[in-house]
Amino acid sequence: MHSESKIDPKIMEEILKFGKNVIDAPKLVSAPDEISLEVTPHDTVQKIDKTRLLHYRPLTEKQHKTPLLISYALINRYHILDIQPEKSWVRNLLLQGFDIYMLDWGSPTSMDKYLDFDDYVNGYLDSAVEHIKNESSTEKISLQGYCTGGTIATAYTTLHPESVKNYIATAPVIDGWRDTTVISNLAKHMDVDKMVETIGNMPPEFMYYCFSVLKPFEQGIEKYIKFFKNIDNKKFVDNFLRVEKWLGDTPPIPGELFKQWIKDIYQDNLLIQNKMYVGGELIDLKKIDMPTFTQIAVGDHLVSPECSMPLHYAIGSEDKTLRMYPTGHVGMIASSLSQKKVLPELGKWLSERS
Amino acid sequence: MHLMSSKPQALTSTGPMRAFTANSKKVTTELIEINEDLIGFNQYLTEYYKQLADAWGVAQKKVNLKSPEVPQNVEQIEAFKRIWIDMFDNDFTELFDSKKFGENYGKLVSKELELTKHWNNITNVVLQSVNLPSKEEIDEVYKELHSLKKRIGKLELKLKKKETRKNA
Repeated sequence: MHSESKIDPKIMEEILKFGKNVIDAPKLVSAPDEISLEVTPHDTVQKIDKTRLLHYRPLTEKQHKTPLLISYALINRYHILDIQPEKSWVRNLLLQGFDIYMLDWGSPTSMDKYLDFDDYVNGYLDSAVEHIKNESSTEKISLQGYCTGGTIATAYTTLHPESVKNYIATAPVIDGWRDTTVISNLAKHMDVDKMVETIGNMPPEFMYYCFSVLKPFEQGIEKYIKFFKNIDNKKFVDNFLRVEKWLGDTPPIPGELFKQWIKDIYQDNLLIQNKMYVGGELIDLKKIDMPTFTQIAVGDHLVSPECSMPLHYAIGSEDKTLRMYPTGHVGMIASSLSQKKVLPELGKWLSERS
Repeated sequence: MHLMSSKPQALTSTGPMRAFTANSKKVTTELIEINEDLIGFNQYLTEYYKQLADAWGVAQKKVNLKSPEVPQNVEQIEAFKRIWIDMFDNDFTELFDSKKFGENYGKLVSKELELTKHWNNITNVVLQSVNLPSKEEIDEVYKELHSLKKRIGKLELKLKKKETRKNA
């Protein structure tokens, strides 16, 4: 008996095309080491240990008086804030007339395993702020903290409110118990003392594992299918490779810092309860009394909105704004939405206070 | 004659092999403990893969229920793929978010660290046998260095702030 095949010939066509794209890929894409992630021109104005303070060159004739320092996260590198001209957070703010500095935490090695919260908050970040104040002849600066850099910047702002004119918290890690992400679940069950005692710094491989369990099928399969389907689209491929290179470049986290991080934020949740100590001083969120802008991504699967939002309600400031955006953790800082909505809103808020 | 015959003895009493032999008992103890920890590690690893396999089975059943027909064209394949990815992402995220996964994964990592610790201890025996500093000794140097750098850094910053205030 003859049975008629119902399979659409287009399926075969698609499979063959996909196969051809996979074969052609090595000829069409650059090797990761050929891609430079440095986009907007900048100068290194201070170096302490492995950290660097970057000062971006202005793109406008006139600039706002108060400079802005960005405290980037401890996971991956600062390049995502300047990943490509059309999606660059830094470039957008420069074009809005802001004077931008970025703190690059560098790549700690085994000998940095004793660096702790105090070193990052009262050492590197405080030194960067002092340098900017001197260079720009201002008494106060604007400070933005992103993700884990937001936690460090929050601690800094409570301890040195006299140096911060405006504070911007972008998806900060604040309330560990309310965090509903997979990362928080893994962190809560981690024997961090044993980890730091045995291997010293938190290795990048562990972070890669954590990334791999976040939407594993979307990120591990669909993303690459899309890549091969768009292999002829130069712009898409370039953007994809830049983000992939950024994702694959995460430095280790110093052991002592990581230990305090996991215990004080995720396991004991001390920060939001105003019980966390840094360098022997209590972090009291009520001391954040300057204008504060909190940015949250509704679809954030790295730092859930419930983890960041409590900051807005815990601080002492009367001039505070909370904005929520329909995007993810990276989408908030490096997407067309961030260019069209997030950055114009931030720029308007900041220019009125700079 | 006496010097000639005693020299090799003196050599072995200071040489690396003697130092290694003196500590070989420690190596044996570490190896026995490695075996014990390996059993625990394998138990947690088996549970880890079991949890993944179970989640896969449940997610696949859900996909089959939601999309029982074999896709016949490009649009249907695309829709099927979307359902498959969403179902699997949801079910696996639920697993990774669960207490049972978190606890087992924590124990698995902890056992792996125990194994690393034994390996470090064995390496220390070898290092000491050739008169090289152990991990603990190097850590002490790092700690001292960190403390000194911290003190210098804070003093420098204090001076800088004083200077700024003076110039203001």
